Amino acid sequence: MTALATQSHAIPHAVMAPELAWVGMAMLLPLLSSVVCALCGALRVKSKLPAIVTAISLASSFAIILRAYSAYTGPVDVPIFEWMSFEWGRGGSFHSFTANCALYIDALTLYWMLFVTGLGTLITIYASEYMEGDRGAGYCRFFFAISIFLFAMSALVLGDNLAMLYLGWEGVGLASYLLIGYNYDRPSAVAAAKKAFIMNRIGDLGLALGIFMLWANYGTIQYSELFVAMSSGGQTAVDWHVSAIPFLLMLGAFGKSAQIPLFTWLPDAMEGPTPVSALIHAATMVTAGVYLIARLYPFFELHPQALATVAWIGGGTALVAATIGMAQYDIKRVFAYSTISQLGYMFLGLGVGTTFGACYHTLTHAFFKALLFLAAGAIMHGFAGQLDLRKLSGLRHIPGWRIVSWTMFVGCLWLAAFPFTAAFFSKDAILLQALSSDRADFRALGWLGLLTAALTAYYTFRVWFRVCAGPVHFEAGTEAPHDHGAHHDADHARQKGHDRHSAAVHAAFHPHAPRWAINGVLIVLAIGSLVVGVPAYKAVFLHEDNWAQQMIAHSSAVQGAMLSNDHAHSEGHAPTMLGMDVHTGLTVVGSSAAIGGILVAWFFHLHSRRRADQVRGELLRRWWLGWIPTAMEHKWYVDEVYHVTFRSTMWIGAQILNFADRHFLDAFVVDGVAKIPLALGRVFRPLYSGALQGYAVTMAGGVALVLAWASWVWLRGAQ
Amino acid sequence: MSESLSSALTAIAPAQISIALAISALLFGLGLIGFLCRRNMIIMFLCTELMFQGAALAMIAFARLRMDVSGQVFVIFILTVAAAEAALALGLVVLLYRRKETLNSEVWSELGES
Amino acid sequence: MALIWISIALPVIAAIAVALGPASRARTTALIGSLLSLAALTLFAWEFPAWTSGAHFPTGEAAQWVKGAGVSASVGFDTVSLLLALLTAFLMPLCVLGSYSAITDRVKEYYGWFLVLGSSILLAFAARDAILFYIGYEFTLVPMTLIVAIYGGPDRRVAAIKMFLYTFLGSMFMLAALLYLGWEHRIASGSWNFDIDALTATAVRLPTSSQYWLFAALMVGFAVKVPLFPLHTWLPLAHDQAPTAGSVILASALLKLGTYGNYRFALPMAPAGGAELMCVVAVLSIIAIIYASLICWVQTDAKKLIAYSSISHLGLCMLGLFALNPMGAEGAVFYMVNHGLSTGALFLCIGMFYERYHTKDTDVLGGLAKRMPVWASFMVFFTLASIGLPGLNGFVGEFLCLGGTFMAEHDAQTGYPGVLGPWYAIVAGLGLIFAAMYLLILLGKIVWGPLREPTAHATHSTHDSSHATPHGIQLAAHSSHEPVLPVDLSVREIAVLTPLAVACLWLGLQPTPMLDAISPCTERLLVHYPAQVERVMAEHAASLTGSDQSPSSQPTSNSLNSQ
Repeated sequence: MTALATQSHAIPHAVMAPELAWVGMAMLLPLLSSVVCALCGALRVKSKLPAIVTAISLASSFAIILRAYSAYTGPVDVPIFEWMSFEWGRGGSFHSFTANCALYIDALTLYWMLFVTGLGTLITIYASEYMEGDRGAGYCRFFFAISIFLFAMSALVLGDNLAMLYLGWEGVGLASYLLIGYNYDRPSAVAAAKKAFIMNRIGDLGLALGIFMLWANYGTIQYSELFVAMSSGGQTAVDWHVSAIPFLLMLGAFGKSAQIPLFTWLPDAMEGPTPVSALIHAATMVTAGVYLIARLYPFFELHPQALATVAWIGGGTALVAATIGMAQYDIKRVFAYSTISQLGYMFLGLGVGTTFGACYHTLTHAFFKALLFLAAGAIMHGFAGQLDLRKLSGLRHIPGWRIVSWTMFVGCLWLAAFPFTAAFFSKDAILLQALSSDRADFRALGWLGLLTAALTAYYTFRVWFRVCAGPVHFEAGTEAPHDHGAHHDADHARQKGHDRHSAAVHAAFHPHAPRWAINGVLIVLAIGSLVVGVPAYKAVFLHEDNWAQQMIAHSSAVQGAMLSNDHAHSEGHAPTMLGMDVHTGLTVVGSSAAIGGILVAWFFHLHSRRRADQVRGELLRRWWLGWIPTAMEHKWYVDEVYHVTFRSTMWIGAQILNFADRHFLDAFVVDGVAKIPLALGRVFRPLYSGALQGYAVTMAGGVALVLAWASWVWLRGAQ
Repeated sequence: MSESLSSALTAIAPAQISIALAISALLFGLGLIGFLCRRNMIIMFLCTELMFQGAALAMIAFARLRMDVSGQVFVIFILTVAAAEAALALGLVVLLYRRKETLNSEVWSELGES
Repeated sequence: MALIWISIALPVIAAIAVALGPASRARTTALIGSLLSLAALTLFAWEFPAWTSGAHFPTGEAAQWVKGAGVSASVGFDTVSLLLALLTAFLMPLCVLGSYSAITDRVKEYYGWFLVLGSSILLAFAARDAILFYIGYEFTLVPMTLIVAIYGGPDRRVAAIKMFLYTFLGSMFMLAALLYLGWEHRIASGSWNFDIDALTATAVRLPTSSQYWLFAALMVGFAVKVPLFPLHTWLPLAHDQAPTAGSVILASALLKLGTYGNYRFALPMAPAGGAELMCVVAVLSIIAIIYASLICWVQTDAKKLIAYSSISHLGLCMLGLFALNPMGAEGAVFYMVNHGLSTGALFLCIGMFYERYHTKDTDVLGGLAKRMPVWASFMVFFTLASIGLPGLNGFVGEFLCLGGTFMAEHDAQTGYPGVLGPWYAIVAGLGLIFAAMYLLILLGKIVWGPLREPTAHATHSTHDSSHATPHGIQLAAHSSHEPVLPVDLSVREIAVLTPLAVACLWLGLQPTPMLDAISPCTERLLVHYPAQVERVMAEHAASLTGSDQSPSSQPTSNSLNSQ
């Protein structure tokens, strides 16, 4: 701890290290494998070659990052090649714009890259089996997009400037678009892909404007120069130009990480194949927002309310998403909302000032959520797309499904933050910081977080008790068995919920148990979930430094790397909670919340499942309570509200403009101007009737007019 | 030549040609009114001849006033051309009459805009 | 100089050869002619010495063309005009190749006029003399009108006439302004001269009020061509009715004449006027961005959608130009080239499915990824380029234009004050969201989703069992001389799209050489602006505080000399 304390509040300066350019291979290898996959697609390769190439390249990336980690001594800047740069006037800051393809490697970068490439490799291996029904064009397209995703994610994390980050930011959005819309002949998948991209674009605009704002104030967008300018400049939050920076960047983070105003795309993104949901929409891409805020943490202190806003949005999202997750029946949707909720925790952590907690929770969450999604994917794969937790039961008793059931159990325990799991400690770090804060609103958020933790434990184990425990019973999904070609991830039952016909159709259905790749990856992930807890165990039981904390402390997010009680003790007043020391109190309350939630879930969803329906029926019958479950099931009608307020109004406006453009601006104004000569012509047209005398009269009249004018002039001159 | 002419004729006062001009105007006016009011193509043609003669008379009068023969030369030209023109015009009128069996000018209005 | 004239003349020579030769060889002759023209221009660009200086080359005095009137036949390029000319010459062979199967009637006239069109655009970009520029600029209308009016859709005549009259009316203002400048030059130096540099030197010394009107007249002329918001209505109709290659050249090269005109004439000639009116132009550009993208959203005609998206994109380009700082101007010039590439490619893609299905209505057609996967890959790629995905070409221009707008504040530390700023950038940035929205909706309709084909067509093609059937689509039954096209793209069509895709990718990943080449030009362009913008802002501040001692009446030469 003392080693950390000496480093606090000092943003590390990067040194130039061109000799480390080989680290760029970690970014380049996925790009190469995407090219190979595209070529495979063009050459109509039908084998598993794309998956093998992708897995090998990602594993090599992981090895490269591991090597860089072992050799890491301090932040370095690694130039690779010039991307966008030009200068004017005298050059230098404010007179040049430089956004090169270069890497900024510090502990935060490596921390992120380790789990991104590691999980990427594992999930690729999983997908090689999961997607094998699509071998051919679809298989190539899938691994092409996965490779593009890993390339973009690496660019996002490794880039040494904000334009590179933006490149990665939009690149992962593209990969997400392509993968959500993987089953492009299904309109719901296409719509979900579009929605994801557009909602992310809203956030991206905020990010782009934030980048401009940073450039306008500091004259550069390179991290190393920015941090120097920041630490030496001592900007104060008087000018709105400066204080707007965190809010603009925040918008980008909220878009990518599915936080409150922009969260509705993530549940729909479950239209994508399950490995995609696990990799992109749970473990890695959606944590980019956390990365952004952690990376630019010093700039979030430019406005006193910026971090508080992050905290409130995070805490609010965590609670709202948890309430929605409680009422969903689709396993993947439950996990999607739990992802949003857990991301909310991370933002809460960032907001209350513990980047360590947020980043550590990101790590633990990446593992257990990937595990949960992959287990759900295995179930879906085996049961022909069935994901309705009311139609699956007792999986752990079916031969071939034990590994899936028990690894899923591990994932559920971790998600529920069961005492002494890794997630328990990472969540603890966040809530501890919130509850021991000086600010009352942060303490309130801490309690809100505890409430959410109880809800999380409930809905997580609701899934597990329903699906994996209890009597054996299952109905197959509506999907065709996958050896018939393309298999679809969604079941139609997911959309509306009630598809009663499928049971009769699949009377003789045999679930298709997963083989080595899926089972192996699930086991590795379960072990990984245990392993990521090791730093926390060492910190708690052996009083050593937490590895994650050390990593964060060696980066620009150092301000939040300390645990709050160190601060608090040093300032001389120990905050309390329910009469206990906050640390103890939190352990007690947090554990009881998790265990309580699990017990409730056990009672309603395993012990007496009928009671759950009874309680639900009771609730629905009361007019003053009945709307709550309904609204929760309908996701609090957020989609509908957005649809009416934004999309419909804009649609109507667009129709009006379209009409006005054609019938007013073009047909009335433009054609109207063009008709002026025509109208003039029409005035004189009677003179040209064709009758000979008509012309003569015109002529005579003209002569008469000229004569009259001449004589008038003459007469006037005579006077 | 102009000298011999000027010796043969003496210049007259402006007031003295007013009668000639009045007759000229009368001829022109009659021709114009006739041209505008009548529909018979031959009559209309005659009316244009009348207007010609009105103009020619005015030219002669002014030539006498200014003691300049070019006006009279013009008149001779006009008469010559008018004769040729009459031949042509009457031929055209006959042609038009053959087409539509009438001399009414109103039946020919294809040049009209509408 | 000789190479420039060769590259301008080669298409005309090829056009004569097309006219004299047999119809069956017309397209080959046209292709060879346009390729040779591209080769000549590339050779010139290869040896171009002024890439990094921002100067014109060649510099020598040309012979007087019209004696006494000061019109000389002088041509030469700076980096910006050379890039735009290269873009035009690059697109010409692709357009010719892309028209092989689309044009089956009156082939000779089509290729002949098309080549003439290309060479008059090249002339306009190459001209160093204002009258020569005007000749090239106006003459483009003749072949373009014929191409639209003969080979276009059902409303082609109306569209052609509207395009001709509208742009012609606009350029009358421009011609008047140029003649006025020539006259001013004669007053100042005693002889007529329409050399652009000479005119510019004369124009910047004019008093503010004259520059104001000069700028307004030039702006009206070029705004019609760009097209800027209220003057845009000719474009969607023309694009809708034009044949594919016509749309490509219209969007990629002809519209660039408008933005290029601003770059070459309006901005450098009348800095005082430009500084006064920049706010108006910027607001109109922003309206264009939002207005056109909203309209795109509800279009069901794919070509009209892309046409409106051109209006929106070029609005951003104009906004960048009128941010009047290096970042914005740089982005705008870069965007001119890139809009040409990606929008041209989108028009080609749409033309390709139009040739197969004879409809561009996104309500009856959809899910073509199933039937035409190669085409779909290209379509997605170019759409992403158009949306401005980083790593592809559209992003660099968009990012810099928006950034330039953002930095154009009165207290900007870039050395280039401006009157725009973050709020303008925020509103204009909404265009980025809308662009993603309408283009992805277009993709969602025609590329993704379940396969939908026009009913008349479906009866023929339901028998095609797989994507890669060797038989052509059976549409040939309708008219005997219509060429048979494969279901997915033919090798020829892939050859048309591939160079564009490569260019998009290359410029997206390696924009720096081009940015470096443009930056001296933009610095020259903006040389008078910081002082002028400050003057305008000081006047506004003075008028706001009620002071009546505004310095607007004095000529601007003082402030210019102090530079």
